[in-house]
Amino acid sequence: MNVYLMIAVCSAVTLVPRILPLFVRTLDSLPKTIRKCMLLLPIAALGCLIFPLSLTDFSSSWYAGLVGVVAAFLSSYFRRPMIISIIISLVLTTLMLVLFP
Amino acid sequence: MNVRRKSKAFQVLFAVAGECEFDENLIYSIAKHSHFWKNLHGKGIVLMQESTLCAKDGMKDGFPIFLGYFTTALAFGLLTRTSGLTLVQGVLISLTNYAGSGQFLMMNLYNAGSFLFEIALSVFFINSRYIFMSASLYPHLIDKKSVVKRILIGFGVTDENFAVSSLKGKMLPFPYMMGLIFTAYSGWVSGTFIGFVAGNFLPPVVQKASVITVYAMFASLLGGEVRRNAKALLVLLVSGLSNSVFILLVGIPTGFSFLLSMLLATAFACFIYTDEEVFGV
Repeated sequence: MNVYLMIAVCSAVTLVPRILPLFVRTLDSLPKTIRKCMLLLPIAALGCLIFPLSLTDFSSSWYAGLVGVVAAFLSSYFRRPMIISIIISLVLTTLMLVLFP
Repeated sequence: MNVRRKSKAFQVLFAVAGECEFDENLIYSIAKHSHFWKNLHGKGIVLMQESTLCAKDGMKDGFPIFLGYFTTALAFGLLTRTSGLTLVQGVLISLTNYAGSGQFLMMNLYNAGSFLFEIALSVFFINSRYIFMSASLYPHLIDKKSVVKRILIGFGVTDENFAVSSLKGKMLPFPYMMGLIFTAYSGWVSGTFIGFVAGNFLPPVVQKASVITVYAMFASLLGGEVRRNAKALLVLLVSGLSNSVFILLVGIPTGFSFLLSMLLATAFACFIYTDEEVFGV
């Protein structure tokens, strides 16, 4: 795939939803259900962003991915800042790959 | 009402300063609230304060966002590197997109070998929330006649920029918005650059493990969501399970499977979350 084309297209589909409402005022009054879905969509996307790719990306060492994901989840559940969760997850995943290759 | 608004503003600043994680729920509740206040304003109930905000105020408000963006962008820079992109391509993504979740999603699907159409549609869906944010920011803006100014402001409507500016409780002049948006933007772009370059110095096993950073980011967002509302765990189950079944058992291509599961889980979430939980009261 042409990477530059992908970048251009993604830029367009990111900027249009941001810029258009400043020009087209009717977008302001979308039905309530649509607005509700738009706000919930990023939460709903998280599950399929994580599974199954976080496991399959490590192919046979899938458990390393699972440990990393669970660690980051628990760390942020207990109110650690995001960057700390990511570092903990990276360290544990590296350890898993070193200890159980 | 003003006091409540201010305390929320501080929460957002703490969130973006990395004191706690990016609090997406809070941002959405603000999105809802500013919409609500705008409506009241339309009826002449709430009067916006006279605005004295300048570019320097914007830069000051943008600094905590700069820090949060810089650290997140480090992970993104590393991801573009491990995905086989060049430094120019990686930085170009951050320069032209300026969107956290959208960019991570794009790289995810790119690595999974998805079609451009699937990537574009998925990125559009995850960014559709900005329609709502831009629309509710509009009434707060001053100098909105100029087309160029509107485009520049629209470019910078990220979750955090939106939350901070719409919580000011003042009319927002163009220089203020530019100070805010481009301070945060510089953190995003420079973080991507440094993350990519720093990847050079990591040992191979850490580079292999670094694939996890993107999933760790999603998982930590999820941790915050579940803490606020355990229903997020049910949504995760529907979303993750359906995507796994579609990809591993049914054999649907990744990009298309992602779209399907995301929409399925959104419909499910819309069904189980009450209006109050989504919009706040």
